[in-house]
Amino acid sequence: MHQRSESNYSNNYSLLDMYKEDSEDEQNTLNTSKLDSINQQTTKEILNGDFDRYGFKKVSVHSSITNETYNDWFKEYAEFLKERKTKWVMLLKSNGLQVDSEKTIPSRFPPKSDKVKKLIRKGIPGEWRGSAWFFYAGGYEKLNKHVGVYDKIVRDTKNLQNKDTDVIERDLNRTFPDNIYFNGSLRSNQDGTPGKQKPQSQEEEKNSSPMIRSLRRVLVAFAHYQPQIGYCQSLNFLAGLLLLFMSEERSFWLLVILTERIIPKVHSKNLEGVHTDQGVLMLCIKEYIPSLWSILGKTFEGEVLSEDKILTKLPPVTLVTSSWFMSVFVGVLPIESVLRIWDILWYEGSKTIFRFALTLCKTCLESEEFQNAKPRKKNTELEQVELFQFMQSFPKTLINPNVLVDNCFKKIGGYGYGSISQDEINKCREFVAKQRQKLKNKSNSVINPEMNAQERRLLTGDDDIHDVYGFNRSIMSGVAWNNNISNKMKKRFSRKASKSSLV
Amino acid sequence: MASSTDTTRFAQFKLVLLGESAVGKSSIVHRFVKNTFDNFRESTIGAAFLTQTITLPESKTTIKFEIWDTAGQERYKSLAPMYYRNAHAALCVYDITNPSSFTKAQDWIKELKKQAPEGIVICLVGNKLDLSEERQVDEQEVLQYVQELNHQENNVLWAECSAKSGEGVLDIFNKIGRALPVEEVINGASSRARQVGSRKPGVDLARQAHSPQNSGCC
Repeated sequence: MHQRSESNYSNNYSLLDMYKEDSEDEQNTLNTSKLDSINQQTTKEILNGDFDRYGFKKVSVHSSITNETYNDWFKEYAEFLKERKTKWVMLLKSNGLQVDSEKTIPSRFPPKSDKVKKLIRKGIPGEWRGSAWFFYAGGYEKLNKHVGVYDKIVRDTKNLQNKDTDVIERDLNRTFPDNIYFNGSLRSNQDGTPGKQKPQSQEEEKNSSPMIRSLRRVLVAFAHYQPQIGYCQSLNFLAGLLLLFMSEERSFWLLVILTERIIPKVHSKNLEGVHTDQGVLMLCIKEYIPSLWSILGKTFEGEVLSEDKILTKLPPVTLVTSSWFMSVFVGVLPIESVLRIWDILWYEGSKTIFRFALTLCKTCLESEEFQNAKPRKKNTELEQVELFQFMQSFPKTLINPNVLVDNCFKKIGGYGYGSISQDEINKCREFVAKQRQKLKNKSNSVINPEMNAQERRLLTGDDDIHDVYGFNRSIMSGVAWNNNISNKMKKRFSRKASKSSLV
Repeated sequence: MASSTDTTRFAQFKLVLLGESAVGKSSIVHRFVKNTFDNFRESTIGAAFLTQTITLPESKTTIKFEIWDTAGQERYKSLAPMYYRNAHAALCVYDITNPSSFTKAQDWIKELKKQAPEGIVICLVGNKLDLSEERQVDEQEVLQYVQELNHQENNVLWAECSAKSGEGVLDIFNKIGRALPVEEVINGASSRARQVGSRKPGVDLARQAHSPQNSGCC
């Protein structure tokens, strides 16, 4: 039976409005929490119910786990959450920030420091998440520069109908259908409240869900505000997750910050940022996980991709990994893991996505299941596809975010990807983008877009020439900076190892 | 025919799904692979990979489909060549209640004709047959289109189905299985098979068919 009461949910909706007021009329603290904090009562409700504290089904499409597995994990994790909350309250108090009661949500947080970073990596209390994300991502700066802008766009786009709004409409009901706030029909099925009016159809019920209406407004406003992006499938999940933690207006601005600063061009019309970031990720895999690269760094024909071909022929595994970037792991990992990564993302920036993408790759590689599924013979397309299936399904089983985060950052007993700096990622992105531009210019000058495939093939002697990957020039040779990274890593590892052996 | 009579022959083929967003590509795949249906399925981001096996009893052939389900939105098209490269079969899906999705499916067929490997088996699929009361894509119109195409020697299959009720879904894959160059591939002398991508599909003559979930019986 679903334990959480109806009033919780309606309370939640009115809280949405409360948040909205708050953002228009800035206050120092928010009076109440949208999420219940973790205590004995809420823990019990979650353990006995079908839904997690964010309204997602415990057994959902986002995770391949059973209710028992979830509960086994959550019993322990709930203790961890309580402990983290205490630490956060102490941190705020030591910085002179008021935390009056359990229900208080701070709107200001301590300035960035190593101590704060450490705390963030261990997770922000769920009920403070929205506020902390907004604070550390620079939301206030953005909002203060654009007072009233969101409301105006919403008014202006109220009856807007175009290509983007068409796709948005189709995606609204396909955003978190297993979350109770997005899919109202889950609630009526679960409650069993007698006398409750059945909606006329599931469709109508869903359309009337306040969360879906908020999602529509945010996505339409965003498409209008960022015409170079418009609407791109996956933004629905990003906006949807934000809306579970903050007001529409704040969700809107964080979406703007994400697409402007953190993963630029990833959602643009030609998805150029996807190609760039996948190029960077492939270079990183080659550098940091060479044993995985030896499996994945091949075309379907088994051709090993040499360094000068990585960008001209992105390996097929990028068809799996590109969604990791586009939806920032939403739908890829169980929701709690996604949230923990997002905690770090808003504080530390885009390197976080690369660090965790590498962590996922390595975790996959090291798992027993992968070793069994690993291409046995010639690493043909058929075998690669089995691997893709694995890389798609395995992350959904990673229920414990602490293991994931430890693997990512710990230098001893983990992968030490914390040493991949933002500067290195920026450099690499710049490099890849430049190479791609160069290649594009070259291929444009040779290949006439009017030619059909046959003519192109004849001209280039290669049959995989097409709009995006259709460059077959060896421009990129030798990636000096990449070797620098590995040297630096080696040094760090040896330094760390000698240090710990002294202790 | 060189094939042995007591072992089931085995061949593996790559199949891609293309079509406008929300026409039901993922739902068709899930009906075929898992025999399930969700009224609200999350939008596919990037691609999803699944496999499913069918057996064609008349030719004692087991076919493993390696299915590439793709995101439908226009801009994801920049990733599409990666999907249909080396594909042996493609489902171009439209929603029978949405005429613009049919136009889009026709565009995909055009694109495949231009860019995909020669000999690719294309099946035009009208989904959401359960909503036939709201039908807006006329069967006659589609039939005429397909006949015109096939008049120019383009062998395009056509089928309608409902991922929701399951009606017609398995038939599509059986139809495609029969149209695939299984014989040629197994006999290893197919110029067509070589044209379909630059690799040969996986063929394992000796391999016993391992209890496929779906029988190919119609």
